[in-house]
Amino acid sequence: MQRFILRRFLQSVLLLFVLALVIFGLARVSGNPADLLLREDATQEDRAHLMRALGLDRPVHEQLYLFLAGALRGDLGDSIRYRKPATEVFFERLPNTLRLLPLAMVGALALAIPLGVLAAVYRGTMIDRVSGAVAVLGIATPQFWLGIVLIYVFSIKLGVLPSSRMGGPSHYVLPAITLGVFLVAGMMRLVRSSLLEVMGSEFVKLARLKGLSQTVVIWKHCLRNALIPVTTLFGVYFALLITGAIVTETVFAWPGVGRLTYEAVIFRDYPLLQAIILLKGIIVLGVNLGVDILYAYLDPRVRYA
Amino acid sequence: MKNARTGATPGRAAPRKGETMHTRILVALVLSGCLAAGVGVVSAADKDTLVIALDTLGGQIMDPIMDTRAPHAHYHAPIWDSLVGFDLEKGGIGPGAAERWELAADGRSWTFYLRKGQRFHNGDPVTAHDVKFSLERVMSPESISSGAAALRRAVDRIEVVDDLTVRVYTKGVIPQFAASLSRAVFMEGSVMPKKYIETVGAKGFRDKPIGSGPWKFVRSIPGDRVEYEAVTYPHWRGTPQFKRLTLLLVPEQSTRLAMVRTGEAAIVSVGPEAVKEARAGGMKIVSVPGTMQAVYQFWGLYRPEAKASPLNDVRVREALSLAIDRQQIIDHVMGKEAQWPMPFAAFKYSSDMTVPRWEDWSRTALRYDPARAKQLLAEAGHASGFRLTFWNTALPGTPFMVPIGEAVAGFWEKIGVKVEMKTVEWGAFDPMGRGEQKGLVGTASMYRTAGRPEPIPRYATTFVSKGVQHLFGDPQNCPVLCQEGDKAYEAVVAERDDAKRTAATNRMIELVAKSWIAVPIIEGLGTWAVNPKGVGYFKPIPGRHEFGDVTERMPRPEQRPWP
Repeated sequence: MQRFILRRFLQSVLLLFVLALVIFGLARVSGNPADLLLREDATQEDRAHLMRALGLDRPVHEQLYLFLAGALRGDLGDSIRYRKPATEVFFERLPNTLRLLPLAMVGALALAIPLGVLAAVYRGTMIDRVSGAVAVLGIATPQFWLGIVLIYVFSIKLGVLPSSRMGGPSHYVLPAITLGVFLVAGMMRLVRSSLLEVMGSEFVKLARLKGLSQTVVIWKHCLRNALIPVTTLFGVYFALLITGAIVTETVFAWPGVGRLTYEAVIFRDYPLLQAIILLKGIIVLGVNLGVDILYAYLDPRVRYA
Repeated sequence: MKNARTGATPGRAAPRKGETMHTRILVALVLSGCLAAGVGVVSAADKDTLVIALDTLGGQIMDPIMDTRAPHAHYHAPIWDSLVGFDLEKGGIGPGAAERWELAADGRSWTFYLRKGQRFHNGDPVTAHDVKFSLERVMSPESISSGAAALRRAVDRIEVVDDLTVRVYTKGVIPQFAASLSRAVFMEGSVMPKKYIETVGAKGFRDKPIGSGPWKFVRSIPGDRVEYEAVTYPHWRGTPQFKRLTLLLVPEQSTRLAMVRTGEAAIVSVGPEAVKEARAGGMKIVSVPGTMQAVYQFWGLYRPEAKASPLNDVRVREALSLAIDRQQIIDHVMGKEAQWPMPFAAFKYSSDMTVPRWEDWSRTALRYDPARAKQLLAEAGHASGFRLTFWNTALPGTPFMVPIGEAVAGFWEKIGVKVEMKTVEWGAFDPMGRGEQKGLVGTASMYRTAGRPEPIPRYATTFVSKGVQHLFGDPQNCPVLCQEGDKAYEAVVAERDDAKRTAATNRMIELVAKSWIAVPIIEGLGTWAVNPKGVGYFKPIPGRHEFGDVTERMPRPEQRPWP
């Protein structure tokens, strides 16, 4: 078990190193931040001074060395735009995203599971088709558009919910729905397919032969097993949405990590972008490592594979 | 059919003992949650707080030496006064923290006389020592302020004459020096507290900034908002009518529009395309005249490799201007939120130039006359048109430049020019315009000039051979037009007599106007949607899109209702 954990850990470190190289290169392909910071009439001298002040006048290999050396010490550099440590900027915004995500995800699960179960139990019926259509609609509806429609209906027309920004509980409703609708669709389809698979298992037939009611068979025996892949997907979504809620955070002026990522790209804030991607990478790898270890603990076949 | 044992219909769960109760409790919880969350929550900002929602807060760094672009004038201006201020009615420069200033007889030093009785938010008086310290801080190596390098080039030394008088010695004669210390240009003139910064350090200052402006800093939440509190004493810029000011960062325009309609914000920045919608929702529109000028310009025509270009014939260049129906662009692309332009980089509030003369000129010379355009093309030997590469781009804050560029290309196509339009992001285009400009030689591009009190610095950037863009020529390739441009510019900056400098500026403007190398398309307006229940009637400063220097003069709705 220890060897398994060590192997997984080393793989994660290697992956982080590759990620650092890739993001360092990709950030620089997008152009030079000095060009966005300078005013139109800035001279070459102004540009040179700004490049010096930002540390961008050094050769790329030197910048890479400084970046990697700093990263090993936990120093990911200063944000060009915010003029303070990039990690500090990231962790200032992270709690805002973390406040929104659980609500969206729990809400999505609360809808996706019953809908998925109904679709599986009533497979091929109108209920299944309607729930399938709901799923397609959820995936196909642009979050941007949905957010604006929700604001129009609930803020402008009905006047019952605030249009945007962080605040009291009411401020969470519209962004959570916007974010959740997308999740509902994917999760619902997964619950359906997973449940159908489980429903064909021998132990389910046995349960039915024992005279257990349909409700007990489905909700107690089948669903427990069917939810395993959903739980995995849940974890993946959670990690993805930490920086992936860009559209929702932009529409609702939510000062989270998603919008920060977008701003870092737009402003070519290399250090901030590198920090965000690396820190997110650490979070994702950490979650995956935890899941792997848990799986290995639960299923010996995994650790001996 | 019901299940005999459980009483449930097939495929449905029979309610267990207690399940109904659980369901009821759950429903009650959900409902109460919704009620707690939702009922009556579209709360307009409280009446003592002026809320303005903006599309950007720049770097949101509370230090004048640490931001480089225009948003500083939104969020820095409430806290810090500028050494040179605005003419609030006409636009252009006016008294600021310095109530007056004068240029020495030799033209190499400027003396600024500070207002009496100014103080910082901690009670310390504003003195000439603070002004000297502030200018030196802007020029310091750690400064990334957009004009720091220009100030370093311009300033020789700074001398404190007495507590209320400071003298700045320049490296040569720089007639526009005072204007560069106004927020009408950039933030270099911000007056910062010497004693306080020396005590708390740069970080302490950024965390808890103080200035001498009409609003005191309360807190800044990165990516979300900046909050201020009004000073409680009379301020020379105007004593705020609201107790608090909040600047919100709301990047999405539809959301900003929703906020102003629901009363969550009193004022929001909008683009010209949103004006109609805002008006339909009962909002007032405040249009700020002369905030920018959209232009097109030709690059590197003086270079040997561009010698064969049809664009080297001035008749062709004039024809391209005559082909453009500017009124159509104003009415349909800009939704009437634009004006007829003045000559390049000139506005109605510009100083050192004869404004009425150039208003007349632009009405006639920039007319729409496609017949004359075709005639000029034919006279130049291009009756069947020619190929033209046109870089379409939008500078930050003016996304509507791209549709303007598309309209311009369309008008050019109508007179037979085959336009190859390349639409590129500003960040990709900007580096091409610096240095050798190899990729741009012999092509046209969209460009912009921001509203500024004096046109000549912009002419230096664009036309002088040592300037950044040097559209007339560079030091190695300086044809007649380039030499004339350099001479005209030198004549302006060497002239200390106001009337003679105006005449020299007029000559420079004329030279550029008749070259048709950089041609104005429209004059843009800054547009804002205002909820009349949130703030009373106010007037913006012509040429200043940002409201950082206007908020202190904004009345409450009941004090001055909207007409």
